[in-house]
Amino acid sequence: MSTHKQRPLNGYHVIFLTQSAMIGTGILTLPQKLSSLGYSQAFVPLLFGLIACLTMWPMIWLNSKYKNDNLFRINEKLLGTWIGKSINIIIVLSFIIFLAGIISDYMNLIQTTALTEQTITIPVLFFLLLLLYIVSGGIKSIARFCIITFFLTIPILYFLRWSIEKGDISHVLPLFNFNGTEFLNALKEGYLSILGYELIMFYYPYIENQKKAFKHALIGVWISIILCLITTLVSVMYYSEWQLKNIEFSVLHLFKAGELTFIERIDIFGITLWVFLILSTVAGYLWTAKKGLDSIRSKETKSHDYIITILIFLLIILPISQELLERLFKLSNYVVYVLIIWPMFLSIIHLLRKKQVQP
Amino acid sequence: MKFKKFMRSPKSEDHKKASQNVKNVINTEVEQTIESIQKHTDHISDVIFKKIPTEEGIVTLIYVNSLVDKMTMQVMIFIPLANHLHQIHQVSEVVSISDNAAIVSKLMGGQTLLYFHEANLLESIDTYSASTRSITNTETESTVIGPQDAFTESLETNISLVKRRIKNTNLKNEDLTIGSETNTKISILYIEGIVNEENLETLKGRIDKVNYPSFTDISILKQLIEDNPLSPFPQYYMSVRPDSIVHYLLNGRIVIFMDNSQAAIVCPTSFLEMFISIEDYYNRWTTASLLRMLRFFGFFLTIMITPMYISALTFHPEILPYELLLNLQESRSRVPFPPLIEVLFIELIIEVLREAGSRMPAKVGQTIGIVGGIVIGTAAVEAGLISNILIVLVATSALLSFLPPIFLMSNTSRFVRYIFILSAGAFGLFGQMLAFAWLITHLLRLNSLGTPFMTPVIPRKAGDLMDSIIRFPTAFLKGKTGISRSPKK
Repeated sequence: MSTHKQRPLNGYHVIFLTQSAMIGTGILTLPQKLSSLGYSQAFVPLLFGLIACLTMWPMIWLNSKYKNDNLFRINEKLLGTWIGKSINIIIVLSFIIFLAGIISDYMNLIQTTALTEQTITIPVLFFLLLLLYIVSGGIKSIARFCIITFFLTIPILYFLRWSIEKGDISHVLPLFNFNGTEFLNALKEGYLSILGYELIMFYYPYIENQKKAFKHALIGVWISIILCLITTLVSVMYYSEWQLKNIEFSVLHLFKAGELTFIERIDIFGITLWVFLILSTVAGYLWTAKKGLDSIRSKETKSHDYIITILIFLLIILPISQELLERLFKLSNYVVYVLIIWPMFLSIIHLLRKKQVQP
Repeated sequence: MKFKKFMRSPKSEDHKKASQNVKNVINTEVEQTIESIQKHTDHISDVIFKKIPTEEGIVTLIYVNSLVDKMTMQVMIFIPLANHLHQIHQVSEVVSISDNAAIVSKLMGGQTLLYFHEANLLESIDTYSASTRSITNTETESTVIGPQDAFTESLETNISLVKRRIKNTNLKNEDLTIGSETNTKISILYIEGIVNEENLETLKGRIDKVNYPSFTDISILKQLIEDNPLSPFPQYYMSVRPDSIVHYLLNGRIVIFMDNSQAAIVCPTSFLEMFISIEDYYNRWTTASLLRMLRFFGFFLTIMITPMYISALTFHPEILPYELLLNLQESRSRVPFPPLIEVLFIELIIEVLREAGSRMPAKVGQTIGIVGGIVIGTAAVEAGLISNILIVLVATSALLSFLPPIFLMSNTSRFVRYIFILSAGAFGLFGQMLAFAWLITHLLRLNSLGTPFMTPVIPRKAGDLMDSIIRFPTAFLKGKTGISRSPKK
């Protein structure tokens, strides 16, 4: 239990780091994003899970060849310093935009549901300060936060009880009533919800038992997939197809089905508790972005944390036109999509340049 | 002079004459030494210099009157001096005349110095017998079941209370003196073979580095050697109960006692242990588990109840069902303040009552309790200053804050509650959740002597969870807990 180890992450840390990074705001809009599939979306998360497994395998394989390096270093080693660094800059920038996207999405949601009479500037500031506090403890502190987040937020599932009671299980059938384009469309929109497992490429060097890392990460991925599955399944049971397509944040409305004599709007409680999930997701990304900045500037300082946080704050607060922001967020999403396929490409280069590169 | 010469016997006269020169030299040296001791103890009126003629010539006794009991002086010094001088030499210890620092420190430690003029010899006998109070039962950590004795302010008594419970040579106590001005004696207790050596080294290193002049209680030392002195949470356990100290010693923890302070500190400790009372082990496991759950969830309730009231009424009235909201609004229809001010107002009144109650003489205190409780409470509601539902909530949370068996933890919950109240006042439920996330992160990042504060939970140790919020039947609880990092499992 020594606190200063070279590789501080044990199996549980890996499981929950993977799991928590995947569950964020995405899951709230998942049923809507998948609505092109109609009622058949119920079991689509399982397919997503399969894709996640397939894409994670090259990541782990590549990392296992470079046990002490994260993706930023691997980029530099395999592609040369200059190309590697410029790719790293793209990754860091897109992560910053991605983070700003997640946070501003969530904060806007908070504003519409819980803080209707305030602007979000000051809440965002406090949120970011708290985020800095979590991240400044290092990856292990983040992992611990992820574990406790999981156990604090899992009781929310209980509030689905009423939706299940009122829902109709026959909505689930038929199982695969969609065509290829519809599926691709849903994949493009909905896969965003389960992003997050790619962070393992960056904290892999810190994992204690690297041989079992794949297994642990898979457990984490499948916990998240099952949570997504429960969400889509219950949504399909509870809503009509039109509602699935048109209701914003339909998952929140599932909570509203609840009937308690002392609390009327469980969704407000749920969405504010969601801050834990958001914090655990963005903490991982912020830590990664900081590591990226470290490797780009070839030195480690705490100030990188502050620089990134200030950038995020400015992105959220500055009066940039909403369209431009939307386009930026979309772009950053695509960069993260590419990041998932990136290790395959790198693996090929690794095989080609095996003899020249010293791992 | 003539008269004196006449009185002397011829035998002694011869002897005197022979050694006259040597005597003079010794006499001046004796005078010098006594003078230098007098100079070092200048203006201390209870340092006594007493010349007593004995068989071996004149002896000067030097002692501090207030540290020595008269009876002890009689038995240890005066009777042997008059009758059996060899006894004194048997029990005493020789002090170097030139070592002024040692002389003064012995004197201040309650020892009596005997200066044999003729032999020019300085000896010391331990006569420290300052009056102490007797062992009484504890008032701050009382229990229904279990031993009732508590530590006193005397280090020897406290260590004897521990040693009579653990009759084992592996129980070690190492004495140290800290504080450049008070020269306070502390004692580090541990059981060899069970304690983690690394922990012991860390602790000793920290105590060595302490550079603080004066210690009036062990809690000062505690704050100086804690891992995070800025945190509102106490990171070491503190108790005045010998049985709970012994429990932790046997678990592989390190205990520090300080002279003149009643409590002992135990390190390392975990967050969950702050909610464990030693009585839980004497109760049946079902009762103990129930009480522990009450204390643990009580801590989170006490910091959450009143903030909840603020956020529900200020930001999210829609969270409450119609009837309940009506009820609430009705009760505060005449209240002129916003909920935040209302809550702060009544919370501060409770703090004032609590603080005034603890300072006041016991007999007056009762009256004030009645005045505070009934008059202020009822009158404030009737005057329309606060709503009566809030009174219920505040009273509940005030009661809940007394649940932790450690008073320092109860103080912490008082402080943390204000953070929650203010954040609820600023951002409603969202602010409360942010504060909660801060609390969790802070707890996760705290260490106690280098061991994570949240130990049995994160990092998890399944075996320890048997003795956490739920206390399993005693047969399950044989092992040492993970936080001790004991070499013996």
